[in-house]
Amino acid sequence: MTDEYTDNKIETKSADSSSGSYSPPVEKIPAQEAPDQELYHAKSFWTKWVFCQDAKVIGIQYALTATAIGMIGLILSWGMRLQLGFPETFSFLGPATYYQSVTMHGMIMVIYLLTALFLGGFGNYLIPLMVGARDMVFPYVNMVSYWMFLVAVLVLIASFFVPGGPTGAGWTLYPPQAILPGTPGSEMGIVLMLVSLSLFVIGFTMGGLNYVITILQSRTRGMTLMRMPLTIWGIFTATVLALLAFPALFVACIMMTLDNLLGTSFFMPEIFTMGEKLDYAGGSPILFQHLFWFFGHPEVYIVALPAFGIVSDLISVHARKNVFGYRMMVWAIVIIGALSFIVWAHHMYVSGMNPWFGFFFATTTLIIAVPTAIKVYNWVLTLWRGNIHLTIPMLFSLGFIVTFVNGGITGLFLGNVIIDVPLSDTYFVVAHFHMVMGIAPLMVVFGAIYHWYPLITGRHLNQTLGKIHFWVTFVGAYAIYFPMHYLGFIGVPRRYFEMYDSPYMTSGVGLNQFITVAALIVGFTQFLFLYNIFTSWYKGETSERNPWKANSLEWHTPDYPPTHGNFGKELPVVYRWPYDFSVPGSDKEYIPQDVPPSQVPTAKAEQT
Amino acid sequence: MTGDKKQVHTHKLGIYLWIWTLLFVFSFFSYMVDYLNYQGLLRWSLIVFFMLAKAGFIMAIFMHLYWERWAIVNVLLWPMTAIGVFIAIMAAESYYTFFSRMFYFVVGS
Amino acid sequence: MSQFDIEKLPKGSKGFMYDWGSDQRAFKGVPWGKAMMWIFLLSDTFIFSCFLISLMTARASTVVPWPPTSDVFALTVFGVELPLLLIAIMTFVLITSSGTMAIAVKYGYEKNRKLCGWFLLATAIGGLTFVGMQAFEWSKLIFHDGVRPWSNPFGAEQFGAFFFMVTGFHGTHVSIGVIFLFIFARKVFRGDFDTGRRGYFTSMKSDYEAIEILGLYWHFVDLVWVFIFAFFYLW
Repeated sequence: MTDEYTDNKIETKSADSSSGSYSPPVEKIPAQEAPDQELYHAKSFWTKWVFCQDAKVIGIQYALTATAIGMIGLILSWGMRLQLGFPETFSFLGPATYYQSVTMHGMIMVIYLLTALFLGGFGNYLIPLMVGARDMVFPYVNMVSYWMFLVAVLVLIASFFVPGGPTGAGWTLYPPQAILPGTPGSEMGIVLMLVSLSLFVIGFTMGGLNYVITILQSRTRGMTLMRMPLTIWGIFTATVLALLAFPALFVACIMMTLDNLLGTSFFMPEIFTMGEKLDYAGGSPILFQHLFWFFGHPEVYIVALPAFGIVSDLISVHARKNVFGYRMMVWAIVIIGALSFIVWAHHMYVSGMNPWFGFFFATTTLIIAVPTAIKVYNWVLTLWRGNIHLTIPMLFSLGFIVTFVNGGITGLFLGNVIIDVPLSDTYFVVAHFHMVMGIAPLMVVFGAIYHWYPLITGRHLNQTLGKIHFWVTFVGAYAIYFPMHYLGFIGVPRRYFEMYDSPYMTSGVGLNQFITVAALIVGFTQFLFLYNIFTSWYKGETSERNPWKANSLEWHTPDYPPTHGNFGKELPVVYRWPYDFSVPGSDKEYIPQDVPPSQVPTAKAEQT
Repeated sequence: MTGDKKQVHTHKLGIYLWIWTLLFVFSFFSYMVDYLNYQGLLRWSLIVFFMLAKAGFIMAIFMHLYWERWAIVNVLLWPMTAIGVFIAIMAAESYYTFFSRMFYFVVGS
Repeated sequence: MSQFDIEKLPKGSKGFMYDWGSDQRAFKGVPWGKAMMWIFLLSDTFIFSCFLISLMTARASTVVPWPPTSDVFALTVFGVELPLLLIAIMTFVLITSSGTMAIAVKYGYEKNRKLCGWFLLATAIGGLTFVGMQAFEWSKLIFHDGVRPWSNPFGAEQFGAFFFMVTGFHGTHVSIGVIFLFIFARKVFRGDFDTGRRGYFTSMKSDYEAIEILGLYWHFVDLVWVFIFAFFYLW
């Protein structure tokens, strides 16, 4: 202790005497611990673009596949809204079609679009670039992961074409009704859904292991965990959650498949259907609910945490200010992730579970609000007195904060047992989760695409179309979901095919029509966005290198856009966090992560 | 991938044989719990004790966790708390299910 | 700048803080493949935990008596009925194979090609024996005792369902392990790990680390069996 103290003193003294001003700390970067990664070099068209092992191409493959299936999910939501807004108008919509649309819309959006897009798409593209790796640690496994995902998607699509159609059990797939006659798709649809989910879990595990190990074991020199962009922190924690939560879904899927095909009674109690006693006996439907939500609640954060991380980076870059409370943000992400495993039964307050659980799960649920609120404060404080550029990514980030606060506050209502009991299974719940894990993460997805599109293609997206896209989506989302809160308060139940002449629906009828029209408009705008993406690919305005003047490594590759191997001959060495914007004393407006302190001697940057 | 200069530690053959023997002994004991037909709390605690002892030896010695650095050991063991909570909650839940089944099937509704 | 030397790093809880605060690697000196296998096993642990938790729920909440496992799995040898005899032998075989695996890993790191190969082969044969005995157990239960996934003559019908699912899932793990053990035994004998021959699919260089990674998997399979033995058969 004493030695250290005197050493410091001497150093300060000498620094003071030599320059008389602030002197940068000594550049201490440890030696490389392991030899450079050996890369697989594609030899043919097939291995270069189709069965590709480059994480960047795999990321784009993931993103395109997820977007394609997401568009199907979007169109299914139109079917639902048409039915709810204008019942008995469209002949192609029956009760069965309606329930199938509800189910497939939910499952597609949560798992096949958002999870795959955030972790498979953004994760694959950004992780190696942002942590300074040449590629994922196991490119071959990474490639297989994408193809498993594709097979899962194809199996899911196949369920639209089997006899009985896709399952209509609701995205939670609760037994016993999910596999009993009377539920649409109880013949083949549910089996294909369960198989598809299992394949997705297997494929995701392969990818997820890659993401985790790349972040933990393949960072470049100087890249400590506390110098990683928050994007990476979000994706990392979400991936860990996925690796630990998907097993529960996988187990539930296997058991329900066996119940359906072999006639086991894991989840099936003794039951009569159409006056006939079935062979099932003694199973526990609530066991499925526990397994499902043990997966299901972390899944919410699998979608939300990458969004949290990405939006922090977007706000910081586009407000030219460092993230407020970076370490707090990291710990908040980690704590939210850890807590998400012990809150699951707040989805089950009305399920008939042990009544004592309400207290425990309401408490843990409300505790999660603390780190989440910290994050929101920190986003706002990052913006405070920042040099806010109202670029499209910034617009979407602002939209995210507002939407997330809205959805989060209704979450506080629903986390309390006594408020949840009357509100559960109403449109209030629908509005809540669409705000908090539908619209809010999608805002980030859009913002992130506008932000990183130049990196991927070297071109900008069309700005006018982008602004239209933002405003219609943002205002439209509120037009859709604000009225739903009211519908929930007056007691309109969710998942009902039609409300018929319910007396309390008088004020709801007009609202439902309004919501439907808004939903159609917002939906069409997303196609405008797709049009923008595809035309800008070859027609967009060429972007100069690092157009947003960001600090993180992905913008500072020798080739722009980055090529196979990412960093050319030498891996970059990292000296600072990625948020050195407008550093006091520096003549540069921003200092990229790989600039050594000796090159910016006047910058009064804190050691990070 | 760690390079050629890496110093690989191997352990003496003896420790593997020793642990191997211990595993047999513990398996034999847990088998004897059943053979001697112990019941009640004694049975459960003995079974769980032998199980955890065996699992501990396999992980610590055979899987070399004892010689690994704390960074990876902690990462592997802490997530088990989530499983612990899950077990506790599901134990409580299944007793409640049992209670309500008895209540509604036997006492009647 | 000095060469990286893991021996000079702090150990214990200080090492924990050091490793997580450092750059490049959180798990110092752990190869990528080994770290990946560990995290995969963690994920797999959650799968088996979910199976066993479901089993616990079914057993604790059943109103029909659970079949007496030690009688159901008893074998009659020379006129004496021994409870759980086959299961005990299976446990013995699996633990034996785990021991040989540990020794194979040791010889792998010592680059003792022959001994490593033979012990791998022994492990594979142990695993094969285990799967064979499991097949015998299944067929005895199905054809002799009339246990089905959807019903059984002894009691609660979840018994058969959980038995076939849990042991089936474990058996699948063992079978996959056996296949890889044979493949790797061949690779060892061929000298792939000494020459660094490139993998057929991945085109990456072979290294004796692979043996330890395979070993981790195999010990995990053994570990799971310890829990199944306790919770399904003995409980």
